[in-house]
Amino acid sequence: MQDAIFQVQHLSLAYPARRGHRAATILDDISVDVERGSALTLVGPSGSGKSSLLRCLNRLEEPTAGVVRFCGRPIIQLDPRELRRRAALVQQAPVLFEGTVRDNLMVHAPSAALDASGSRLREALTEVGLDLALLERDAVMLSGGERQRVTIARALLRDPQVLLLDEPTSALDPPNAMLVVETICRLRDTRGLTIVAVTHTPELVRRLGGALLYLVKGRVQAYEPVHDGGVIDERLQAFLSGTHP
Amino acid sequence: MRSAVFGIIELSWWQLALALLLVFVIAAISLRERLGLERDLVIGAVRAIVQLYLVGLILAAVFSAARWYWVLMILVVMVAIATHAAVSRLGKPIPGVYWIAATALTLSTAATLTYVIGVVIEPRPWWEPQYLIPIAGMILGNSMTSAALAGDRLQSDLFARRDEVEARLALGFSGREAVQPLVRAALRAAMIPTVNGMMTVGVVQLPGMMTGQILAGASPLTAIRYQIVVVFMMAVATTLGSLGFVRLAVGRYLTPAHQLRRYLL
Repeated sequence: MQDAIFQVQHLSLAYPARRGHRAATILDDISVDVERGSALTLVGPSGSGKSSLLRCLNRLEEPTAGVVRFCGRPIIQLDPRELRRRAALVQQAPVLFEGTVRDNLMVHAPSAALDASGSRLREALTEVGLDLALLERDAVMLSGGERQRVTIARALLRDPQVLLLDEPTSALDPPNAMLVVETICRLRDTRGLTIVAVTHTPELVRRLGGALLYLVKGRVQAYEPVHDGGVIDERLQAFLSGTHP
Repeated sequence: MRSAVFGIIELSWWQLALALLLVFVIAAISLRERLGLERDLVIGAVRAIVQLYLVGLILAAVFSAARWYWVLMILVVMVAIATHAAVSRLGKPIPGVYWIAATALTLSTAATLTYVIGVVIEPRPWWEPQYLIPIAGMILGNSMTSAALAGDRLQSDLFARRDEVEARLALGFSGREAVQPLVRAALRAAMIPTVNGMMTVGVVQLPGMMTGQILAGASPLTAIRYQIVVVFMMAVATTLGSLGFVRLAVGRYLTPAHQLRRYLL
C-alpha cells in the first residue's frame, strides 16, 4: 500500500497462563495495512480478537510478536500518550466523567495542553451533530447516542489523524445508531480522518467502504476491499447478513 | 486473692477463670439462638489465652534482658506478621505484594516511631522496650489495617472502573494520571475511619491505651496526654501506611508504556 498510516505486520497477542486461567492466544499472525484517509472495518464473532487488535493499534495492548507502524515508525518508538492523541479510541460503552458535557470535553492530562476554548468546544459539538445547549448539561442526563457522540467530540478536540471505534453503535437503539453512523461518515469526509472500526452494523461497513478484515479466533479469514457497498467473500456476506453459523 | 501493688489490683488465675465464664455466656446464647458459633468461640478463647500468655512471657523476657537487638527482633517479627495479615485480606493476588506491604509497613512504622519516640516521648534509652514495643504495635496495627483497606478498595475500583481508567489512557493520560482518582478514593476509604475516630475519641468510649493506663493506676490527666499522642500517631500511621501501599501497589497494575494490566484485575 502506498500511503499506509498503520502497518500491522505478523502481529500476535497471547496471554500467559495464570492461576485459574489457561494460556490464551488472542491474535495470531495478523498482517494488515490501513490507508491514510481510508477505512478499515473489523468484523467477526465475539471473542475473535477484533477489539484486541484495535487496542494494539494505540498500544493499550502490547503484542507478544510482530510490529505495528504508525506513519512509518514502529509504535514502540513513539510516546504512547502522543500516539493515543493522534489515534483516538472511542470505546464501546461511552465513558463520561463526573460533571457537565463541557467538563467532559475539557478533560485532558495534567501534563498535556489542550485548546479547549469556547469556540473549539462548540465546533466539536457541531461536528458530531449535537445541540450547543448540551454543553452545560450534566453528562449523566444524556441519552446513549448523545453520550457516544460526546466521546467522539472529546476525541476530535485532540485533532487526531485516526479514529479507532470499538463497536460504536452496539449499545444504541437503531435511530441513535444511525445518527452515530452519520456522524462517523461525515467526519471521515470533512476531516479526512482515517477510520478503523469494529462493528456488526452492515450500514456502517457499507458507508465507510475501504477494506474489511474478517477475524475468527484471532486469525484472518478474509481481507478484502469493500466494492460499491458490497463484499465478495461469501463467509463475510453470511456474517454481515446474520446467517453465519 | 487480691493484692494491691502500686495501686494495681493484680488478677489471680481464679479471677481470670471467672472472666472466662463470660465466654460461656456467649456460648450459651449462641446455642440457644442456633448461631453455630460455639466451636469458633471456644477456639478463639483458647487462642486468645495462649497467644496473650506467650506474648506476656516473651515481653517479660525482653524487658528483663533489656538489649536493643531483642527489641529490634521483636519489631521485625511484628512487621512480618502484619505484612502477612495485610496481604491476606486482599481479594486477588498482586505480584510482589509481600515486598510492597513489607516496605510500606516498615517505612510508615519507622517514620512514625522515630518521631514519636525520638522527638515526643524521648525515653532513655530510646529503645526502652516498655515504650517502644507497645507504641510500635499500635502504629503497625493501624498501618496494617489502613494498607489492607486501601489495597482492597484499590483492587475493587480498578476492576469496576477499568473502562474509565482506559478512557483516560486513550485520551493521552499517563498511567499514574489515569489511576489518580482511584488512588484518591482508596486513600480516603482507608483514612475516613481514623478521621471519624478522632471526632469521637473519649466521648463514645475511652480508648484502649487510656483505659489500660487508668486501670494500671495512672492519673487520667497523664493518661489523656499519652492518648493524645497516640491518636495523632495512629492518624499519621494510617495515612503513611495506606499511601505507601497504594502508591507501590498501583504501579504493579501499570506498565511503563502507560497500559493497564487487565489480566491482573
